[in-house]
Amino acid sequence: MQAFDFATPTTVAEAVELLMGRNGDARILSGGTDLIAQLKEGRRTTSLVVDVKRIPEVTELRYHPESGLKLGAAVPCVVLYGDKEIVAAYPGLIDSATLIGGKQIQGRASFGGNLCNASPAADSIPAMIVHSASCLIAGPDGQRSVAVEAFCTGPGQTVLRDGEFLVAIHMPAPPVRFGAHYLRFIPRNEMDIAVVGAGASVVLDEAGERFEQARVALGAVAPTPLLVAEAGEYLAGKPVSEDVVDEAARLAKEAARPIDDMRGSVRQRKHLSAVLTRRALWKAIERARG
Amino acid sequence: MTLTRDKKGVAGKAPYKVIGTRPLRPDGADKVTGKAVYGADVHLPAMLYGAMLRSPHAHARISSIDTSEAERVPGVKAVVTAADLPVIQDILTDLGEGVVNLRYTSNNVLAHDKVLYHGHAVAAVAATSTAIAEEAVKLIKVEYDLLPPVLDVLEAMKDDAPIILEDLRTTELGEKREGQTNIASHIQHRRGDLEQGFAAADIIVEREFRTGTVHQGYIEPHSAVGLYNDDGHVTVWCSTQGAFGIRNQVSELLKLPVSDVTVIPTEIGGGFGGKLGVYLEPVVALLSKKAGHRPVKMTMNRTEVLQATGPTSASYIRVKMGATRDGKLTAAEAYLAYDAGAFPGSPVGSAAVVILAPYKLDHLLIDGYDVIVNKPRSAAYRAPGGTNAAYASEAVIDELAKIIGMDPLEFRLKNAVTEGDRRADGPVYARIGFVETLHAAQEHPHYRAPLEGKHRGRGVASGFWNNWGGRSSVSASINPDGSVNLLEGSPDIGGTRASIAMQLAETMEIAYEDVHPRVVDTDSVGYNDATGGSRTTFGTGWAAYEVGLKLIDEMKRQAADLLEVDLESIAYENGIFSSNGDSLGFKEIAERIDESGHPVVASASVHPEEFGPGFGTHIVDVEVDPETGKVEILRYTAVQDVGKAIHPSYVEGQLHGGVAQGVGWALNEEYVYDDEGHLLNASFLDYRIPTALDLPMIDTVLVEVANPGHPFGVRGVGETPIVPPAGAVANAIYDAIGVRMTTLPMSPGTILEALWAQEES
Amino acid sequence: MATVWIPPLVQGLTGGRQVVEAPGATLRDVIDNLDAEYPGLKGRLFEHGRVRPGISVTVDGVVSNKRNRSVREDSEIHFVPAISGG
Repeated sequence: MQAFDFATPTTVAEAVELLMGRNGDARILSGGTDLIAQLKEGRRTTSLVVDVKRIPEVTELRYHPESGLKLGAAVPCVVLYGDKEIVAAYPGLIDSATLIGGKQIQGRASFGGNLCNASPAADSIPAMIVHSASCLIAGPDGQRSVAVEAFCTGPGQTVLRDGEFLVAIHMPAPPVRFGAHYLRFIPRNEMDIAVVGAGASVVLDEAGERFEQARVALGAVAPTPLLVAEAGEYLAGKPVSEDVVDEAARLAKEAARPIDDMRGSVRQRKHLSAVLTRRALWKAIERARG
Repeated sequence: MTLTRDKKGVAGKAPYKVIGTRPLRPDGADKVTGKAVYGADVHLPAMLYGAMLRSPHAHARISSIDTSEAERVPGVKAVVTAADLPVIQDILTDLGEGVVNLRYTSNNVLAHDKVLYHGHAVAAVAATSTAIAEEAVKLIKVEYDLLPPVLDVLEAMKDDAPIILEDLRTTELGEKREGQTNIASHIQHRRGDLEQGFAAADIIVEREFRTGTVHQGYIEPHSAVGLYNDDGHVTVWCSTQGAFGIRNQVSELLKLPVSDVTVIPTEIGGGFGGKLGVYLEPVVALLSKKAGHRPVKMTMNRTEVLQATGPTSASYIRVKMGATRDGKLTAAEAYLAYDAGAFPGSPVGSAAVVILAPYKLDHLLIDGYDVIVNKPRSAAYRAPGGTNAAYASEAVIDELAKIIGMDPLEFRLKNAVTEGDRRADGPVYARIGFVETLHAAQEHPHYRAPLEGKHRGRGVASGFWNNWGGRSSVSASINPDGSVNLLEGSPDIGGTRASIAMQLAETMEIAYEDVHPRVVDTDSVGYNDATGGSRTTFGTGWAAYEVGLKLIDEMKRQAADLLEVDLESIAYENGIFSSNGDSLGFKEIAERIDESGHPVVASASVHPEEFGPGFGTHIVDVEVDPETGKVEILRYTAVQDVGKAIHPSYVEGQLHGGVAQGVGWALNEEYVYDDEGHLLNASFLDYRIPTALDLPMIDTVLVEVANPGHPFGVRGVGETPIVPPAGAVANAIYDAIGVRMTTLPMSPGTILEALWAQEES
Repeated sequence: MATVWIPPLVQGLTGGRQVVEAPGATLRDVIDNLDAEYPGLKGRLFEHGRVRPGISVTVDGVVSNKRNRSVREDSEIHFVPAISGG
């Protein structure tokens, strides 16, 4: 591990200034569960580590039934699922929060960090996509907002420009009769990396028999987590039935463009995309029906 | 857990006082509070830190190594390569894992003229910090001439395969064949007339199996500190299963007299056979010498452990068995090709014994091949060779039973070996407990419990392990307060401090708490073979028994002196020495040793030969998700003949551990290589050992068929439990989804592929 | 005379016979006598005066590589793979 500088800014502006000063050779530290391992193993090098946990906006957790959830980028998973109101309002996000890494990792790891690490297999991102999350980014030109499905641009790559960092993620308040679920396939029972991940959210009509809206997202089947827009578009207006859900699953399978690697073959991953999409949708439907 | 008894105890005494109880282990408090000193915890004044340069290629000739830039880095004190190792001829030594050629070991420790696997050590640096050592390693320039690698065992056996060791010739029991080859040896066992045997069969099943490369998976990586003192004496602290074996190897590899080497075993976080051979020990000694006689520490990271320390063999196994319609086996044929990694020494020899060991056969043929490939040199892994072999044979047994329509345990009972039957390689079995394990399995509630639900299945499998006697030495002394210090040389990998102390306490009829066992270094106790091979509770326990008898004899002499009577009149029972109405307690005598005579000490050394094998029968229920291929273990019961469970909790622990490793081997563990021979999954993220969340509580049944060859009836127990699980799980998967898996691991992807193949055909 | 079981790969030297007999009060004597009858046998099983690495000798089921181990009239001698373990 090479030597690096370490800074602990207490405001967003201070953090931006520090990042600008290094022309891109700086990394943000929130939980550190990815960054520290990468630095130790030489998979990343940096001249400056900026610990953002002293910046209030980055560690705040605010939920209101009308305005939704403001999740600071460095809020650890354990804090997220320690909040009873949030657990009741966003079970689909809690699915991810309890899967990332393992219990010890969740004590420090954050959704913001998971998102910025931009692994195609990240467990938080498909869940955030189906919750229509947006990313609040601060930089030298001020603040901007990016839809979470557009945040990652490739494995380990994001839309963040020099001097920018992720401050918080916003999740709108779930409408009535909304339900969401995230699940993944791993060869063991826990503490593993997704072979395929799938998130789904639905909004049902009053009778709970028809889809008003739906979103489907997949992980680990493309260079970035994938919003499967065609599946959501297909479901809108359709009745809730096995055939309809199966078709949405088939659309997800078609959209998936995984690679062959030691964690899974193309055939296996495409097959699992359909299986998991179906299972995620049915659980989302169950939650929407209350 | 249930215990079923065969005898009260071979020593002929009334029910034991200490043996069979579950006292706290002496090392427990230190281990759970972080005070136990493991290899990486050793700190010495002026200590330096080492880092290793490892080959990025699977097979290449080294044309040059330039260490000059690395040597110039501030803080670097020494750099070594194979050029710093003395040249040695072929020396064969028995590590306890089988015989090993130390010329190959020297080559494995630091590559000589070729690198033979991805991760093969090439050079090492000692510096004032690990970070500096690692940076310096990056500055060592090595020029390689790439050679084509061969990784598959059958590919390596072909005539046109790339040759890995140019001077290797195939040996067949002393006879060397001509020509370059990757086949190191061929063994064979034969009995009767195979043709006649198969002709008598109504049903014949023949299947081919493949198993992947699997690592022992100990949680503690290898770690060693070496001090090559100015006076020429070398001291090594290391995580090892056998300090005397390490001493032997270090002295041979560095061409030092054995008396110039001291090895101090630190607490060990798992070994399973992988910590019998040297990796870091000679290197830290060499670095220490070159770095001005300062101590040097090296600790491997997980990547290095997986890349460069012994996994066990991948294998190709073909099994053919014939049986009559009423379930009698008539003949069996097995072909086993095991890959040894880069140097000869796969466990194909023991595999060839395990594969048919549980079954009575008049006609058999077994051929085994030890084959070199460009992978890390294989090391022993718990019942070496056994899991692969039993995976194959137990599947064929299961298939025969299914075709005949017989209950799988009944089928095994019908063909089970008992005392007087002949093993495949010849010797006659003495008293064994295989049939007892089959009966216990049949009667267990698990076997009778209905299994309901879709895609659920039940499988059984049996297994054998030979065990080992080996040599053990202990010494002991009695303290003034009546406690006993016991010095032994068997590193404690499974609770043996406790089980050995219990045997001493039982022998001397004193309290377990009064025995203070310590594992000491090679200068402080006589020779001990390694802790491994399931020999330690048996062998070192026997040495403790012998030393206990000697101590009691000595105490009788003291008692006679103090009571002023003849020695012959002294009787000893339950801690009391008495003669004609007068008596003295053990502790009373201990207190008065100063006044009466000389301190009471004794030592004992044993090489017991009647160790007796262990048999196990396992039952497992699984559920398979046919949409994902994932296998869930619902329920597991392991039945084993354990001789005499000295400390039942630690015996149960051995069964739990063997099952956990067997299940990992069965379901997810394997080395994944690319076409150029690079190991792709050298981390616990992608080398998937099971976690505690992947297994249910494992039920154990300890069947006690006492080993007549041991004072307390002990049989080795540690290795047998890893032999049946893969076969049991495979048989359960067949019962659940009707697919006969023939490769390991049976990971979700491979099960899906098998399901799809079945659907498509 | 003690019975000695000959490993299959060496049976070429005993004319294909799996079980042979040889007199002798110790293991050394039995092997020497066998070698006299079937020349070359000792060299296949022993090296530098010791049993070849990788093989163990069992006398009546008990592993013992001691050359001066006593052998009875009805003893059975086998050459088996040396198995220790892990």
